[in-house]
Amino acid sequence: MHSIASRTIGDRLILAAVIALAIAWLAPIFWVIGLSLKPNDVIMKTTGGLLAPPFTLKNYTDIIATSAVFGWMLNSTIVAAGQTVLTLALSTLAGYGFARTDFPGKTIVFLLVLAGLAVPEQAIIVPLHTMFAEANLHNTYLGLIAPRLAVPFGVFLMTQYFRGIPAEIEEAAMLDNASRLTIFWKVVLPLTIPAQATLGIYTFLHAWNDYFWPLVSATKPDMYTLTIGLAATQTNFAQTEGIGFLMAQAVFAGVPVLILYLFFQRHIVAAVSGGYAK
Amino acid sequence: MKFQRALLAALLTAAASTTALAQQKTEITLARFFGACDADYGSNTDLSKARGECGMITTLVNVFNATNKDGIVVKPQIIEWGPYYQQLTARIAAKDIPNIAVMHTAQLGDYVRLTEPLDEAFKTAGIDVSDFTPHAKAGVTVGGKIYAMPWDTHSWLWHFNVGMFKKAGLTDDAGNPVVPKSVDELVAQAAKIKEATGKPYFTMGTLASGDAGNGARSFYTLLYTQGGTLFPSGDLTKADFGTPEAKKAFDFFETITKNGYITKGMDGAAALGAFLNGDAAVMLTGTWRIDDFVSARSKPDSALKDGYTPRIFPNLFKEDAVWADNHSWVLLRGGNDEKTRKASLTFLKFMWDNNLNWARGGGHLPVRVSAMDEYAKLPERSHVIRISEIGRAMPKEVRRQFGIQSIIGEEVNNVINGGKPAAKAASDAQERVDQLLKSR
Repeated sequence: MHSIASRTIGDRLILAAVIALAIAWLAPIFWVIGLSLKPNDVIMKTTGGLLAPPFTLKNYTDIIATSAVFGWMLNSTIVAAGQTVLTLALSTLAGYGFARTDFPGKTIVFLLVLAGLAVPEQAIIVPLHTMFAEANLHNTYLGLIAPRLAVPFGVFLMTQYFRGIPAEIEEAAMLDNASRLTIFWKVVLPLTIPAQATLGIYTFLHAWNDYFWPLVSATKPDMYTLTIGLAATQTNFAQTEGIGFLMAQAVFAGVPVLILYLFFQRHIVAAVSGGYAK
Repeated sequence: MKFQRALLAALLTAAASTTALAQQKTEITLARFFGACDADYGSNTDLSKARGECGMITTLVNVFNATNKDGIVVKPQIIEWGPYYQQLTARIAAKDIPNIAVMHTAQLGDYVRLTEPLDEAFKTAGIDVSDFTPHAKAGVTVGGKIYAMPWDTHSWLWHFNVGMFKKAGLTDDAGNPVVPKSVDELVAQAAKIKEATGKPYFTMGTLASGDAGNGARSFYTLLYTQGGTLFPSGDLTKADFGTPEAKKAFDFFETITKNGYITKGMDGAAALGAFLNGDAAVMLTGTWRIDDFVSARSKPDSALKDGYTPRIFPNLFKEDAVWADNHSWVLLRGGNDEKTRKASLTFLKFMWDNNLNWARGGGHLPVRVSAMDEYAKLPERSHVIRISEIGRAMPKEVRRQFGIQSIIGEEVNNVINGGKPAAKAASDAQERVDQLLKSR
């Protein structure tokens, strides 16, 4: 009896803590949404009184009235989707190769790939930009997608995941005369969906929010991604006189990702919680 | 049959004319910041209705595109202010060079090898360089040649809440705030303001990375008003923060911070809110805020309803001087062929003719001597027109000026927000700027 009561109290304490954390987590989001619905001249004086009028949708209509904004959204979608699909393909293939095959220098190559985790983007931006300039690839989708396909984290994740799949499963398929490709495609790959979902979500979000590389590669306004395009519309003093507009931009940029989550939330939650493994 | 032939001929003529017209149009690209405001000004061609930098530049381009008889179409390429120079440099490296680009004259020294000299071009275009204000001319001249068309001068002010000064007994017979003439007088005033209102004397944005400019501009002005320079030896590759003037400039911030005479831990937006709500007597910010505060003054529930007026950052030491920079327009090398260069100069001439409109709408000072009398008639502008004469900037040959500004501003903010001793701030600024100027 005593232990059951303790567990109930314990559960309740955990529930209370989770609720408190959820509120703390959500509060800034509500703050951003609230500010986005206030006139900029009102917020210049004070950011208090979020629940009191006046309210306005002008910050959003100002964004939508920028004729190029949907073009930027399309660019971001193409780049993010392209990066996600190609990163999954490359990382999965590389991960299987490192986990299941033997080739000369495999260990060294794997270590070199991992070493890429330690190289910050800023260290290679100048040679990368020069390389793409010489290949005339700036202001193209390929120029926006290609540099992001080398993902050491993705290769590492998939390698570890493949290593965790019992080799007996493949051996059994080999006994049935299945080819390596068939084993990979029909037997092993479906078992990696949780890892692919994780890597896919990570890659998509990173690509959608990417700012630094598109800033220096997509310099023509019709090739801007959403992050660059929205930032370009900010006036020089937006941080003081355009806070509502900045907040509306943040909400606007986040809505497509939210919609994506709503459609795929079952899979995302299952992937993150390891539910697919069951 | 005759009618059909006539109709066909008419259609063919119309098509040919359209094609010819299309072929006559010259498109030029205008790389700029200042934001986008299509919702309010996307199709506006009434200059009297344009407000703010974005509104005015958008309207000017609209007017030019609608009225020029040379078939020139200006296509703005809008870039975020913060990373503008990173993107511009990336574009030059990728040979995606705009026809015209906006540029701070503080940056011109870094880009001068990549920009075209324009002395002869201005003569042909009818842009009269003798009408450049002294500060503007100095800003666009490198090695005796002109490399840009100046567009405005922007500078650093004290914006006064006159009501608070009145409450503290610090106004003259005309009701204007008494502007201090020394640091001691300022400190005495600040004590009176604090006693009478309970509020600090100053507010300034000091928290966000974008606020570094605020501290730096105040520092530069304090330095210049002492007759000081960061390059006393004349070697423009080696700054010196150990001079008495530089030390006094940092000491100033330590003094006002120690006594609680400046707000702490506020970014630009919070500082602006503090001033608009009467939580500080003087806001340290630029010329671009004048119209906002004039507008606030007219509201009956405003903390500025008892009066607002700006003054050039005062001379607290020995000579009148103030930090000032300019926006300007450059033609980058490789960005134009003969046709687009001519079109670009035609557009620049149009902009030159509308310099006063830019100043009126954009909130900065014009760069034309001939426009100053009209400019002085705008609200509160008579107090700031001297900036065109006393405005100071670092020599063009000093590289990485924006980088130096960031470092100085960060150290000033460290003194204000973090209580860093002034001497340490000065030595850290020394070390950081040395490293910056050594790096390529």
